[in-house]
Amino acid sequence: MLRAIYDWVDERLDITPLWRDVADHEVPEHVNPAHHFSAFIYCFGGLTFFVVVIQILSGMFLAMYYVPDIINAHASVKFLQNEVAMGAIVRGMHHWGASVAIVMLFLHTLRVFFTGSYKHPREFNWVVGMLIFFVMLGLGFTGYLLPWDNKAYFATKVGVQIAASVPYLGPYIATFLQGGDIVGAQTIARFFALHVFFFPAALLALLGAHFILIRRQGISGPL
Amino acid sequence: MSKKLSRRQFLTYTLGSTAGFLGAGMLFPMVRFAVDPALKKGQGGNFIDVNLPLSEVTDKPRSVQFKVHKKDGWYSFDEVLTAWVLRDKGKIIALSPICKHLGCTVSWEANPQYPNTFFCPCHFGRYTKDGTNIPGTPPPKPLDRYETKEANGKLLIGPLMQT
Amino acid sequence: MAHNQDGNHKEQVHYVGDSRVRANRKKMYPPDYTEFPHKSEAFFPDFLLKEWMVAAVFLVGFMTLVMAEEPPLGDIADPTNTGFLPVPDWYFLFMYQLLKYKWASGPFVVIGTLVLPGILFTSLILAPWLDRSKERRPSKRPVTIGLMLVAIVSVCALTWAAEAEHETQLESAVGSPTKNKQIVDANSEGHKLYQENACIRCHGEQLQGKNGPPLLGVGNRRTAEQINEYINEGKGGVMPAGMFQGSPEQQKILVNWLMEQKQK
Repeated sequence: MLRAIYDWVDERLDITPLWRDVADHEVPEHVNPAHHFSAFIYCFGGLTFFVVVIQILSGMFLAMYYVPDIINAHASVKFLQNEVAMGAIVRGMHHWGASVAIVMLFLHTLRVFFTGSYKHPREFNWVVGMLIFFVMLGLGFTGYLLPWDNKAYFATKVGVQIAASVPYLGPYIATFLQGGDIVGAQTIARFFALHVFFFPAALLALLGAHFILIRRQGISGPL
Repeated sequence: MSKKLSRRQFLTYTLGSTAGFLGAGMLFPMVRFAVDPALKKGQGGNFIDVNLPLSEVTDKPRSVQFKVHKKDGWYSFDEVLTAWVLRDKGKIIALSPICKHLGCTVSWEANPQYPNTFFCPCHFGRYTKDGTNIPGTPPPKPLDRYETKEANGKLLIGPLMQT
Repeated sequence: MAHNQDGNHKEQVHYVGDSRVRANRKKMYPPDYTEFPHKSEAFFPDFLLKEWMVAAVFLVGFMTLVMAEEPPLGDIADPTNTGFLPVPDWYFLFMYQLLKYKWASGPFVVIGTLVLPGILFTSLILAPWLDRSKERRPSKRPVTIGLMLVAIVSVCALTWAAEAEHETQLESAVGSPTKNKQIVDANSEGHKLYQENACIRCHGEQLQGKNGPPLLGVGNRRTAEQINEYINEGKGGVMPAGMFQGSPEQQKILVNWLMEQKQK
């Protein structure tokens, strides 16, 4: 039955080569922790992606209860954490996952750096990876404000002030980030938009590029 | 034909179970979190004193307004509800004014053409005095009833009856 | 495209499907792993299974962390709370700490906000072009690896310094957040002495701190000897000595009362 459906689709869309290419490619033993345990350093990239998946899923579910608004944001976070079943766990996954994602990303970057894997012909993928790093930092910065507690508010205020100290462009950047003159109602709305639409879209596009490049160029050889 | 598991099949099944574990481990708390409102019990029925002496409940329906304290997520507020209160064969009935057709608000004898009925102005639905829908008019079901109680000669109105 | 004089001998160009991609275009295939003389295995299901096993172990650890530690949520943001000590998330701490140093603040703030982070991140992005040797082993490229190690150590040191400074500041911050906002035993002799003496002017009516640090929860942080010492000799060059005008017995009552100010 399943076979027949698959064949029906495959006959029309020729999907077999798509997944066969990914499924059948050979993975060398030097990145396989089952062969050399030290190869676990090659797992950090995959784990970063896994945490990103956790972040995206938990974020989608949190958005079912969260509202980005200076009056209600804090109340809604408090509600979802304390009164909804497993709220503390789902918010915990998103909160701690953010830190774990940064740690994993950091370790992955160091692995690539120390094994010299960014060298010819993989220069471009290194650049894509660095862009992913910046997007993740952006996600961290914008997400930090959303619970709208004192910590969030004052950290963002400092962050915006730091941006404002950039010569010439600073005041414009600060106004753009705040959406006005102060960190307030307009700031939380645009941080929310950046956090759930703009940055994740950029992240997914960059991740797609990252993976396509890996498949094209293969994993760098053993040292 | 031996049904022996090939190595590849075995690995694929193990991979499938690992995927199941990963998916379930991630999604279980999230799905439980999302469906929580559906699993939460109702807030129970508080009976509210509508400040109406029982002696004033007569055969003629009269509308009574009462406040219900509602909790909507992180909001709590007082909702003002209306009930049509009447005595039918000695029994006190409190009817919800929400039309069972499309949710408009019905009133007693709102249309002089149809005396002695509840009338809904949206699609001319009609109900008899005890809230039964009159056949041939749009509403498919009788009006909902509130639970009622009597205490110290006064009327208390509770939650909607479950039918 | 070559045009032959006699016309009927055109060079044939083949395309892929209905696209304008030439069929004889040189394709780029991923490298062939026969070039690695060791074992390799198929991505699916062999390798993916190992990856996901690692992910399963990771998930168990992660969920344990999540369940052990509830995500923090402070009080709702209060822009008028002048005493709150702002602190960014930990991965921004190193840049935050940079701005505290004299050579990266005030007139030189550009160094802290733009120049140093700019150099760090630009050189990271440009790493493939800055380090162009074919050599990949860390031991064969000491300069690159050395620079990276210096960067890592400085980032860690800055983060650690920021964290440590934040901790000490929290302890003595003016009006820093306190979980327990109640004065313990407000109707006592000790509280009366506190109100009658100069203490109240700097440490606030509710012990919340004004010009001086809050004393709410001071019982957790200080010993009775320390408090006596501060009262008698002043503290940190800010609190003057001899602000308490009562008798030694009264001072003992005051100190005992302050030691009762504990928070959970």
